[in-house]
Amino acid sequence: MNTTIMLFLLQDGITNGAIYALLGLALVLVFAVTRVILIPQGEFVTYGALTYASLASGQMPGTAKLALAMGIGACAFDLFAARKALHGRLIVRSVLANIVLPAIVLALTIYFAAQKPPVAVCIALSLVIVAMIGLYLYRIAFQPLAHTSVLVLLIASVGVHLALQGLGLLFFGAEGQRGPAVLSGAFSAGSLRFTGQSLTVYGITIAFIVGLWLFFGLTLYGKALRATAVNRLGARLAGIRTTLSGQIAFLLASVIGALSGIMIVPITTLYYDSGFLIGLKGFVAAIIGGLVSYPLTAVAALFVGIVEAFSSFYASNYKEVIVFMLLIPVLLLRSLAAPAVEEEKD
Amino acid sequence: MSALLSVTDAHVAYGKVEAVRSVALDVGENQIVTIVGANGAGKTTLLSAIMGILPLKGRVSFAGRDLARLDIEDRVAMGLGLVPEHRELFVTMNVEDNLELGAFRIERSKAKASMEQVYALFPRLKERRKQLAGTLSGGEQQMLAMGRALMGAPKLLMLDEPSLGLAPIIVADIFRIITELRASGVSVLLVEQNAQAALKIADQAYVMELGEFVLSGKASDIAANERVAASYLGFQHEGESAI
Repeated sequence: MNTTIMLFLLQDGITNGAIYALLGLALVLVFAVTRVILIPQGEFVTYGALTYASLASGQMPGTAKLALAMGIGACAFDLFAARKALHGRLIVRSVLANIVLPAIVLALTIYFAAQKPPVAVCIALSLVIVAMIGLYLYRIAFQPLAHTSVLVLLIASVGVHLALQGLGLLFFGAEGQRGPAVLSGAFSAGSLRFTGQSLTVYGITIAFIVGLWLFFGLTLYGKALRATAVNRLGARLAGIRTTLSGQIAFLLASVIGALSGIMIVPITTLYYDSGFLIGLKGFVAAIIGGLVSYPLTAVAALFVGIVEAFSSFYASNYKEVIVFMLLIPVLLLRSLAAPAVEEEKD
Repeated sequence: MSALLSVTDAHVAYGKVEAVRSVALDVGENQIVTIVGANGAGKTTLLSAIMGILPLKGRVSFAGRDLARLDIEDRVAMGLGLVPEHRELFVTMNVEDNLELGAFRIERSKAKASMEQVYALFPRLKERRKQLAGTLSGGEQQMLAMGRALMGAPKLLMLDEPSLGLAPIIVADIFRIITELRASGVSVLLVEQNAQAALKIADQAYVMELGEFVLSGKASDIAANERVAASYLGFQHEGESAI
């Protein structure tokens, strides 16, 4: 192998790794705050990517309708949970956030889909649609189970993944789609060629990581999210609603997923079920980070990306096998370091 | 004087086992009320149920409002605070962040003033404000847990075994601060195994045995009661030497 190929593979690995890093961070965040292992993270990726690609090609994405349907479900859950102490403000707030908002977004989507909107509009609409799906998903599937064990939450998570994947097939069909590049153009530095798209990936990933760091370190809501992750009872005693923390975590995870999808879809053709495998690679990174460490997860994700790039060059048939085999030594080492881990009782 | 916190006919059960049985309790404004009793009598269970952590059968009202169906967070917003036995601090965050989060439901401008008040009450916390909560000593952690609860501007602060595992000099400090809280208008419901110290500062006292209140009245009368002296104050001396 010459240096050019190595540099090319490294570049490719870092581009993919950057996306896995974002996904891994979202997984760690959601697990730390809600104890949910977010398997549907991959669906946020495909929904974001395919909604963006559909809009860009002038098709109406079914996800906008799904957001409204889930919003109606979330509103029903809200009203049912508060049925014994219903008051006007709660009803108005729930209807506005869960029904009026997705209805407006649906109307906008129908309007714009008919006229092949500019890239910026496609991105904005896709992000908002998937963010709403993430938020309502938490309300419908996970908030009612918040007090149960990690295993029950995991089972629910698998169920949600399967359901969303099926709906993805319904909305986008079995054909793959590709979207327009967020930033076109390219330049060369020595033997390396940087496309506008790969620079977008680096830029957005770095901006998001810095943004998350500032959010968690400086803002009250960011600190509240960390507090919930560190000590749920302590957070509740400080007046921090765990449901609020869960909503913020899911909102961030769905936006991160959708954004990752939008960044990938100009580079690779994505199918309704591609997200699962992409999400799993973020999961490998998150596991290497022990589902707790953000910096370790980000570094591990870059490593996963690079291993994937090199293994696709040397043994492309075994690319996925090699990446997922990374888990075995990591789990072995972790099990030796922490021999007995009891599930949190609360 | 109307009671700030009023509990009537409260039952708390873990499955089929009733840990607290038909308990009635009042805490007035500007009062320190203590519940003393042996380990396992149900004191912590009762506090947890008043706070909404455990389900309670019976009636609990706070500041004239029925607490049934209110979450922990709503109770905090109403001015009910709990410093639990295990403190439940955010151990990987620094002292200042812990305190700031204690005022999560309070306006930002007021939170600043509350933090200065807490620092005035616990100067040690100000010295350690950038230190991670998990690296503080036991006494400092207790101060931080109390400080965090006070940041929420509670009308009633419930303290669960604040002296547990602390050096006598720090225990004295904590009890002094509890009396200062009463002077500043915060009522305190204090659960303690250290009955002697608790009865000394309390206005009213309840003695709990096997999930029930067996005695109640003025703290000074309870302290003078022979049975209490024999079973709790005596035990306490032995207990202290064991620590």
